[in-house]
Amino acid sequence: MSNNNVECLECGADVRVPGNVMQGEILKCGDCGIELEVTELNPLTIDLAPMEMEDWGE
Amino acid sequence: MPSELLVELVSRYSPSRHETPAVEYLVAWMQGHDFEAHIDEVGNAFGRRGPANAPHTLMLLGHIDTVPGEIPVRVEDGLLYGRGSVDAKGSLCAFADATALAIIPDGWQVIVVGAVEEEVATSKGAHHIRDQFCPDLCIIGEPSGADRITLGYKGRLLVDFSLTRPLAHTARPEPSVGALGAAFWYEILGWCAAQNEGHTAHFDQIMPHLRSINTESDGFHDTVRLTVGFRLPPHHTPTSVFAEISRFAPSDATLQPSSMEQAYQGDKNNALVRGMLSAIRGQGARPAFVSKTGTSDMNVVGAQWNCPIVAYGPGDSNLDHTPNEHLPLAEYDKAVAVLRYLIERL
Repeated sequence: MSNNNVECLECGADVRVPGNVMQGEILKCGDCGIELEVTELNPLTIDLAPMEMEDWGE
Repeated sequence: MPSELLVELVSRYSPSRHETPAVEYLVAWMQGHDFEAHIDEVGNAFGRRGPANAPHTLMLLGHIDTVPGEIPVRVEDGLLYGRGSVDAKGSLCAFADATALAIIPDGWQVIVVGAVEEEVATSKGAHHIRDQFCPDLCIIGEPSGADRITLGYKGRLLVDFSLTRPLAHTARPEPSVGALGAAFWYEILGWCAAQNEGHTAHFDQIMPHLRSINTESDGFHDTVRLTVGFRLPPHHTPTSVFAEISRFAPSDATLQPSSMEQAYQGDKNNALVRGMLSAIRGQGARPAFVSKTGTSDMNVVGAQWNCPIVAYGPGDSNLDHTPNEHLPLAEYDKAVAVLRYLIERL
């Protein structure tokens, strides 16, 4: 894993992080396809991106 | 203590086209909390904090009307009961409370609108606002839950079908008009099922509903009338669906489309969504995204403004339009904190 990359929380693959990444940005793992959210920039921290749900209304 | 604004506004029952007392209250409240506020040309409550000539605008577009059905307003065990507590005065009041509390960043104005007539097909208030402004960011005030962000709403189409034929003896072999109306409906069901193949999410499917079917006779002619509603995914426009299903109608049938709204689905990677994710996490919560199978004023303004747009507000939308509509006050306070966090970090 390079300094600018993070390890996928799902499959452990190397996920590229753009140099101009922003807090809250959603990254996609190229190997397993899962989405990851950048929750902190310093230190660079990721979490699984928010789940997508469906709902009725309005 | 519950928000005074929330309790007072929910207490002012305001079904569509009867919003004036609620609008007057909200405008007066905003005037008392450092907003420039007035009632606009179509009756919307309008309030602004920050300079009108600021280069950037955050539009907080809520609606102040409700569906009919007055519910006695009361607070029990931390829940506020009342018509509109969830859909959507909770969201609108959270917009106003958060904007009033926030320090507005330099270069920004924050506009709060309580639009009229969202719960009827006219969406008069949102159409007016859509043509007056072009904001940088927009949040639609609808209940998503304080920890969730609504990214999209499905589109909509209503079709009225009418077929009249001369009365014939039922011993004759020709199908009745009622049977022809039913056949039209079954053709629609089959076409929708074919279109939905491979789409597992409800948001991505065409959802047809037979809203009514009636036959009548004047002694000389039989008539069948159907109203069919469609909830549409982003990849089907109301116009294209109407054209497709028109093929299934007998040539002497009359078809009338109405309530045509294009679905809208926002992007997940933009400044507004990033800000909302941080704001929700800032309250110690884990955010989630949601797509809705209904429609809202997002459908009205989304395509024209073409800016980052989400819907957000406290409450469970499963309680929308129900006699049990109620809003947890703790969730309301959380939504105010999320919105204030967002505004102060624009």
